[in-house]
Amino acid sequence: MNYLEVSHLKKRFDKTDVLHDISFSVKEGEVVSIIGPSGSGKSTLLRCCTFLETISGGGISYMGKKAVEVNGSGKLEYAPKKEFREIQHYFGLVFQNFNLFPHYSVLRNIVEPQRLILKKSREDAEKTAMQLLEKVGLANKAKAYPCELSGGQQQRVAIVRALAMSPSILFFDEPTSALDPELTGEILEVIRLLADDHMTMVIVTHEMSFAKAISDRVIFMADGYIVEEGTPKQVFEHPEKERTRQFLAHYS
Amino acid sequence: MTFLEIVAQLGDSMLNSIWIFLLTLLFSIPLGLLICIARLYAWKPIQWLMKIYISVVRGTPLMLQLLVIYFGPYFLFGMRLTTSYRFWAVILAFSLNYAAYFAEIFRSGIQSIPVGQHEAAYILGYGKFQKFLRIITPQMFKRVLPAVTNESITLVKDTSLAFAISYIELFTEASMIAAAETSMLPYLVAAIFYYVLNLIVAGVMSMLEKRMNYYKI
Repeated sequence: MNYLEVSHLKKRFDKTDVLHDISFSVKEGEVVSIIGPSGSGKSTLLRCCTFLETISGGGISYMGKKAVEVNGSGKLEYAPKKEFREIQHYFGLVFQNFNLFPHYSVLRNIVEPQRLILKKSREDAEKTAMQLLEKVGLANKAKAYPCELSGGQQQRVAIVRALAMSPSILFFDEPTSALDPELTGEILEVIRLLADDHMTMVIVTHEMSFAKAISDRVIFMADGYIVEEGTPKQVFEHPEKERTRQFLAHYS
Repeated sequence: MTFLEIVAQLGDSMLNSIWIFLLTLLFSIPLGLLICIARLYAWKPIQWLMKIYISVVRGTPLMLQLLVIYFGPYFLFGMRLTTSYRFWAVILAFSLNYAAYFAEIFRSGIQSIPVGQHEAAYILGYGKFQKFLRIITPQMFKRVLPAVTNESITLVKDTSLAFAISYIELFTEASMIAAAETSMLPYLVAAIFYYVLNLIVAGVMSMLEKRMNYYKI
């Protein structure tokens, strides 16, 4: 089954078209990387998929359920409220700037959403949190506050916070772009770990060698279009389009 | 009147000033938060109403507002003014006035929270109310603390405006004694009392700020 299905998605800001007719899907267990130059619409696409932006055309479905669609008369049609909330639980998002809650300890950042939204018991939520923190090597930081952590540690906590909500798909919006080059490694390592566990992921990234190593599929975007899509081997080693070759030339 | 008698009498009326201060804070802070929320998130006409309210309250003197609230019931409806109403008129006028300022302070605090905090809460599934209560407001309070300190210190001094309707607080008392005794001394003592009160206010607020220092935004 397709976990995510985006069909003919369009996004317009005022009078500028940012995304033109984007269609792609993500299957269970797949790792899809979205690459492309700045301003190509990668992040906007992710923000549309996570409903942080409204869409101007097309539709988005999760697990075969229509989440949002622009109907014939150009009006946005969302799934019924209850179903929409359920659909929101299918995915998580890791931000470029982590966006941890600064007034909460690491543990509370991870525990409170589980308790509040998933209605888990404190015991249960804390168990999940500690197991996941253990996995990313931060169990000893459970009581710390975000301001006491390095950027890489904050991002690992943000990943744990998203994972604790047990999403079916995890989106990453340039997860290493706000980090020192020395710290990107630890984040990429965690994502690799998740890939080994067959977590379904969509990653917007500028880390080409990482995208090449980890992805099942790579999507190259430019100027609001999907220019080329294929296995890492196809896109990185035998790109068909001139625009892709131009872009990749900067990285070799 | 001896010096000590003056101090004792002013000390008594200072308690009235302190009551005005405390009750005004007690009422104006929650009211300010409510006005701020309505100003930001309510149905559009309510937002406009709040904007007008804030604009009028900030744009006219507190003393004038106090007089309107105190004499209004008599001039407009011929109601008899009781002695206890004098006190409550002060509290009402001050609370309504300070709520407008607090509303704007809180608004600046809320709007300074990075949009990422809203987005993270939304993605995790927090409802609007949950997000506001748990994520936005606590961070807002930390951010606005210095501005609230400023406002509180101004309030301590503004309590002297109750003089306008002859409510006996520190300043009214000092003026009366000064006139009766033809002496500057009561003013000096009153000044020292106000100053000490504000030292305490500033001290308490800086303690609060330190307690909130366990995290950075």
